[in-house]
Amino acid sequence: MTSLPAPVDLPRVETAFGTFDVSPDAIISFPAGLPGFEECRRFLVLSSRELEPFKCLQSVEGPSASFLAVHPQRVCPDYRCVLSDMDRARLGEPDEEALVWLALVTVLDDQTLVNLRAPVVVNPGKMLGFQLMPSNSLYPLRFELAELC
Amino acid sequence: MLVFTRRRNEAIIVADGIEIRVLRVTKDAVRLGVTAPADVPVHRQEVYDQIREENRRAAAPAGLPAGLAQLVAHSDGGS
Repeated sequence: MTSLPAPVDLPRVETAFGTFDVSPDAIISFPAGLPGFEECRRFLVLSSRELEPFKCLQSVEGPSASFLAVHPQRVCPDYRCVLSDMDRARLGEPDEEALVWLALVTVLDDQTLVNLRAPVVVNPGKMLGFQLMPSNSLYPLRFELAELC
Repeated sequence: MLVFTRRRNEAIIVADGIEIRVLRVTKDAVRLGVTAPADVPVHRQEVYDQIREENRRAAAPAGLPAGLAQLVAHSDGGS
């Protein structure tokens, strides 16, 4: 008996943080892409035990759009971000309790920075996401990560 | 680049349903009103540029660096 082909519904994604098996229904649509990566419209949020509480936000289109991310409240426990009517419309009128929030992490040689100003928000109900760009935010673009909450 | 002369309260229309209207003109500033569908993002350019630059710096990390791995281990121990 010949070996079965790899199941097409479980592609394997290789990242700097390991190899992950993903199903196509895990693909999140980012209709506007991410600033700087506007051509990337489909992303995955990858988790693993080794990486917790960090996650990997990985573009399906290309390996270059791969980010380390963390829930903003793991960095700043009081973190709160208010969605505008327009934001809610872009997310397909989500159940706000169910939203997934991710702050992108920049890893430098001597420090780790977390972008608390422009978090990525995902509505898992509609598998829709985008990066919030508030023009008046109290939170820093480069918050230096010292400890996790 | 398309160039228009517009007076106060005059507008231009881009594609379907995006209106950019001149609300007020002062010596060195123009106040604009943008009306666009909910799925069309509109941003101040400097805000967008700053976030784009930060995203580029954040992209394609080489892996979990030693310092972060320690934080992760510490966080695991605490839970």
